[in-house]
Amino acid sequence: MSEIKPTNPAATHTGEEKDWAASKACSDSLKTKKPKPPKPQNAVTIAVSSRTLFNMVEERKIYEEEGVEKYMAYMNQQKHENEPLMPGVAFPLVKALMTVNSRLRQLYPDSEELFDIVLMTNNHAQVGVRLINSINHYDLTIERFCMTGGQSPIGYLKAYMTNLYLSKDGEKVTEAIEEGIAAATMFTSGDVENQLSDTQLKVAFDGDAVLFSDESEIIAKQRGLDKFFEHEQEFENIPLKKGPLKCFLEALGKLQRKFYAKNERMNCPIRTYLVTARSAASSGARALKTLRSWGLEIDEALFLAGAPKGPLLQIIRPHIFFDDQMFHIEGAKELGTIAAHVPYGIGQKYHKGELIEQPDKDVKDKK
Amino acid sequence: MDSMVRNPDVKQRDAAQAVVVAVSSDAIFDPEVEQVHGATEPLRKGDAFSFMKAIQVVNERLLTMNSDETLLFDVILLSNDSEEKHSRIIASAKHYGLDIGRFCFCNKEDSIESLQSNNVKLFLSTDTNDVCKALQKGVPAALLYRPTDPHHQTEDQLKVVFSGDVIGSSEEMLHGLREQGFTETQLQGFKTAKGSVKEFAVLMGEMRRRFGLEGSPLCTGLMTVWSSRNVCASALKTLRGWGLLVDEAFCLAGAPRSPILNLVQPHILCLDGLYHMEGFTGMS
Repeated sequence: MSEIKPTNPAATHTGEEKDWAASKACSDSLKTKKPKPPKPQNAVTIAVSSRTLFNMVEERKIYEEEGVEKYMAYMNQQKHENEPLMPGVAFPLVKALMTVNSRLRQLYPDSEELFDIVLMTNNHAQVGVRLINSINHYDLTIERFCMTGGQSPIGYLKAYMTNLYLSKDGEKVTEAIEEGIAAATMFTSGDVENQLSDTQLKVAFDGDAVLFSDESEIIAKQRGLDKFFEHEQEFENIPLKKGPLKCFLEALGKLQRKFYAKNERMNCPIRTYLVTARSAASSGARALKTLRSWGLEIDEALFLAGAPKGPLLQIIRPHIFFDDQMFHIEGAKELGTIAAHVPYGIGQKYHKGELIEQPDKDVKDKK
Repeated sequence: MDSMVRNPDVKQRDAAQAVVVAVSSDAIFDPEVEQVHGATEPLRKGDAFSFMKAIQVVNERLLTMNSDETLLFDVILLSNDSEEKHSRIIASAKHYGLDIGRFCFCNKEDSIESLQSNNVKLFLSTDTNDVCKALQKGVPAALLYRPTDPHHQTEDQLKVVFSGDVIGSSEEMLHGLREQGFTETQLQGFKTAKGSVKEFAVLMGEMRRRFGLEGSPLCTGLMTVWSSRNVCASALKTLRGWGLLVDEAFCLAGAPRSPILNLVQPHILCLDGLYHMEGFTGMS
């Protein structure tokens, strides 16, 4: 799984320092109040796709029904190019990240330990003008982007030192996870949309196969819940192995501690939640002990002992909720929570406790 | 004084209509090879090999679509080598079946003049200094990108990336750089680079339009390294105004460029003035 930041042996120092100086010179000469994007190795980089950032449902329809040429023609029409796109499912998250950044900048004006949001899309570069116009319209701090013109963005995720990748395309997300990058597939929430905090970023995580590996999940699925509870109690003091989103929680924790260091614990603009089907009475202990052994804190741990997650999430109102099981994602969506699927582990082979018949994989055109 | 030798094995292009590209022989054939007197075996492949192959793919596709096509790449090999090496160069080109229309043999000091007199649309070299000198003399030039792993660079598609920081910056912004220690010469260099890149961009735009959005043997890209997103948007619009609709775009805003370039693996990197500073060591 990805560390906070992968090392970058290909980078050479002098050329980049000159770039950095020129970049600073450029933004200084603009005498603008816009803050400079942080160096990627210092930041928590979140890559979002164009369809998660903006609502591009209409456009997607044209692409799927009429093909790429018609889609491009539509996007490039003068009248559409200047039309701001509607906010997408990751939009509230992006706004919340920006809020955290302003608070961090107030407390640590010279620090580069900030969120850095990168637009990562395999759209053609010509769509870029419309996307940038929309980003300008909402005044989002997204300075970096990568438009691959149809190629897979996976390599670029590493090149941009991505800590978390969000997309609507499950295949790309799966590929990213296989490459060791924390990633999740976002779904538009249902008709009910909850009012989210605009002063505090709230991130909710499922435990098994998200923060933790799917080792215990396997036992639950294959040997049943009773065996699962037994096993977890027996192995209570053995930390679970890490899951795909562990590093992201770690990155959030690092930023949280910067607020605590300045006496802002009560007013911290980041709050994390564990929302797990484990029960407090038995299997929950192992989860908490594992987190502790990793040196990670989580603000609230909610043990549902198998109860549905939807209603609880409706109260928490996270800007994003990560879970490996579509069953929980759907439950969350139904009650207005922004849910992101982590396609990892044994949970992908099951639906509502039943083993899914794996269809023959079609050979698809990889875009 | 130069001596131009036509390659009898290659059908000559209409030089007035073609995209005449001059490539340094040191890029096509490995210059590190020991000079053994009287040696006759073919020279070793150099860094520009996959570029040569990719150009051939583009030309072939263009001719398949239209056998009378004149907007083709027309390659001149530019060599400053000693006379005894000339025939070996020509023989090596034949051996590898390279689509080189003409060989231009001249002294190093006369290179620029040769480029100018042959209506070269782009001079390519792996040597930043040579590119720099050519640009300063008003000869459009670009860097042949030396990949970290030569075997990785594709031969099936020609990739051309334009550096967009200067293209997308307004006059005002470029003036502002003066206060940051950039010299007048450097600033003039930026303007010259912008001018020379335009003609090549126009040609690439025209060529790119011969193909559809997908499956094109020519792939074009834009990269802004130190500027904000609006400079990138401005560069996209400027290129579009010149007739070039790029396929890929990268806005780095100060992020390191080597990881991206190593992934994109362009054959041709059209640099703006910024890259000609000494600090630019990110390539080799």
